[in-house]
Amino acid sequence: MSESAYFDKYNPINGVWDEMYGPEALVRDHYRKVIEYISGESADDLNKKEELAKRLFMSQGITFTVYNSGEGIEKIFPFDIIPRIITASEWAFVEKGIKQRLTALNLFLKDVYHNQFIINDGIVPIDIIYSCPHFLREMHHLQVPYDIYVHISGIDLIRDHDGTFYVLEDNLRTPSGVSYMLENREITKRLFPDLLPQCGVRSVTEYPTILYKNLLALSPRQIHNPTIVLLSPGIYNSAYFEHTTLARLMGVELVEGRDLVVNNHKVYMKTTTGLQQVDVIYRRVDDEFLDPLVFNPASMLGVAGIMGAYRKGNVAIVNATGTGVADDKAVYTYVPDMIRYYLNEEPILKNVPTHQLGHADEREHVFKNINNMVIKKTNGSGGYGMLMGHAATEQEIDEYKIEVMKDPRNFIAQPTISLSAAPCYMQGELKPRRVDLRPYALYGPDGIEIVPGGLTRVALKEGSLVVNSSQGGGSKDTWVLAP
Amino acid sequence: MLSRVAASFYWLSRYIERSDGMLRMLKINYASSQDAVQEFTWKPVIRIFAGHDEYSEALEDSSREVLKFMVTGKINANSILNIITLARENARSVQEHIPKDLWQCLNEYYHTVKDPRLEKALQREDPIGLLDILIKQVMLYYGTIEITMERGEGRSFMNIGKYLERAIQSVDILDTKFGSVGDNPDLLTDTSYWKHLLLSLGGYELYLKTYREGFEAANILEQVVLNNDFPRSVIYSVNNIQRYFDRLKSDSNIDTFREMSFQIGRLQSRIKYSSVKTIEQEGLHSFLTQIRKELYGIGNALNEYYFANS
Repeated sequence: MSESAYFDKYNPINGVWDEMYGPEALVRDHYRKVIEYISGESADDLNKKEELAKRLFMSQGITFTVYNSGEGIEKIFPFDIIPRIITASEWAFVEKGIKQRLTALNLFLKDVYHNQFIINDGIVPIDIIYSCPHFLREMHHLQVPYDIYVHISGIDLIRDHDGTFYVLEDNLRTPSGVSYMLENREITKRLFPDLLPQCGVRSVTEYPTILYKNLLALSPRQIHNPTIVLLSPGIYNSAYFEHTTLARLMGVELVEGRDLVVNNHKVYMKTTTGLQQVDVIYRRVDDEFLDPLVFNPASMLGVAGIMGAYRKGNVAIVNATGTGVADDKAVYTYVPDMIRYYLNEEPILKNVPTHQLGHADEREHVFKNINNMVIKKTNGSGGYGMLMGHAATEQEIDEYKIEVMKDPRNFIAQPTISLSAAPCYMQGELKPRRVDLRPYALYGPDGIEIVPGGLTRVALKEGSLVVNSSQGGGSKDTWVLAP
Repeated sequence: MLSRVAASFYWLSRYIERSDGMLRMLKINYASSQDAVQEFTWKPVIRIFAGHDEYSEALEDSSREVLKFMVTGKINANSILNIITLARENARSVQEHIPKDLWQCLNEYYHTVKDPRLEKALQREDPIGLLDILIKQVMLYYGTIEITMERGEGRSFMNIGKYLERAIQSVDILDTKFGSVGDNPDLLTDTSYWKHLLLSLGGYELYLKTYREGFEAANILEQVVLNNDFPRSVIYSVNNIQRYFDRLKSDSNIDTFREMSFQIGRLQSRIKYSSVKTIEQEGLHSFLTQIRKELYGIGNALNEYYFANS
């Protein structure tokens, strides 16, 4: 049966789960309406939509600036117009899995910074914790409001060849990209008028409201209008657009380190009418730069004395400092054990099998099978410093091995997982490209809420498995269908 | 309001106002360069808006070169391109305080100036048409503020910046234009010289309505310094600085408020109780120098008391 010209020409990748292309060469049901819709559009029309999307991103300033030879060049994060669609039942599973995982990770953080039962009981080895650069001794016995450490997380999920979801990494520090979840949706509304309600796509617009509600609840002062701020590194940060978007949507003040000052263990912001006390800080500055008195003394982005105010309970910091110990890639290996230990449940979402190169026998195994492995730094992010064994040259592998041997604890290896593919519109045709999924979970005093959607990142280069924007990745609007 | 945010509002507004003044000046001067009856020179414009005389030599009074230098020139710190980039950076850092419409409007202005086609077109096409496109962007900006901007502290800082910039510009333009008369007394009776000055300030029609006896230097001085109804006059701008500064009064900063209020009031009186006669007695250049110093003083006081940059 012929589905449509675009679909007929589509060549799914062998041995890879395709989000759209189902068994017996048919469109999966949940993609049917979208494929029907675009079949009614000529390549010219679709090219125009692509142009429109670019123009909208540009004119709204949804851009980041690349500084080249002293001149700022505005770039947009590449966007593919075909949405990535998730069924109601897939979403229910993912949602349940993330809630379970996040509950355990949060309990782990409380434990590791207080009584350390999990270490004493021998579930997680002590050296893994204390050798992690993101483990902060400064957090020991620091009481955080409601025992919540990870208020905002962006857990990355991928799908293997049979469609099984795996957790690739837990982003528990300052995950970014949520503004693209929101903006991509706004753009899609303009590109495909009326299609969203016809397909029954769930809305993502509640995100800032929920986040604001959670931030408000954390205020140490019981007053009717506590001061909530978003702390940004400033306009030269590549995620600055996101910071302003969130501040605007929540109606909170966007501040930089130089706007804040600490006096008598309280944080204030400098205003035109004097100092105003700050109660809650949603910070988008990394731990390392947050307080020059405690962490990196050269930091210009932070506020001197802020950790003292935090310890005294005079200000709430979101996410808590020190959460990086829970998304360290060596600690990742132990997350399924944490779930069993703290919750007495079987993990719903699977971990990708992970080898720690700190263990000599595992290292040997990895080096022997290096062509089927991906090696990563335990504290890396953004797709930097990775080795993709299947694509690397002999020389790259040898050099990387030398790097590993300098400090094997800092590396892990995972078998190459083949990431699912979703159709992308490229020069008049649909082509399969690899995708991942990052839903954003908000943990507040009322529990964990996950807005039905997320950021789908896509590796736009043919054959590429790396979706990071720094490595040629783009994004798609992510649709979660109503049941 | 955060001090840094207030400073961004203020600078954003100063840069936009500067770009407006510059674009109008360039447009009228270009038109005047086409009336080649008299010896035309770009030097005063370059002195007023780029500050350095050494540039004038290199540009050799070639209209196209001057336009390129003033609009899209990268080495000219005060080119439209550079000041709009700064205006946009300031707007970016207060994005959550300005209406989305206003941000998009500024962003568009920036992209229009940044477009490499503009630089090319300035070399070949009708410059007046191109400058008009940019002037419209500024009008769009002021219209968008009028319709969408919250009447709060932010807008007060914007208005203070706008009128301070405007007052400084009018003072600089008068100083330069009357200064040239000192070097070349023939200009005093050159009607097209004064007509172009009025046109570039947008005060031509008002002048015709007010004064029936043709172009007299003294009348022009009166209109640009002392006319309360002329939106680009020094007194009009200073009155507005005072008006919007008054709105910043609050209980927590009463001392610094009084000090600055005094400073602005003194300047206001100084201009209000001057006449063309007293100005001429004092000497125009020395009068304008004094006013300029006072205006800079207001900028410095804002920086210290309100923008936490002491």
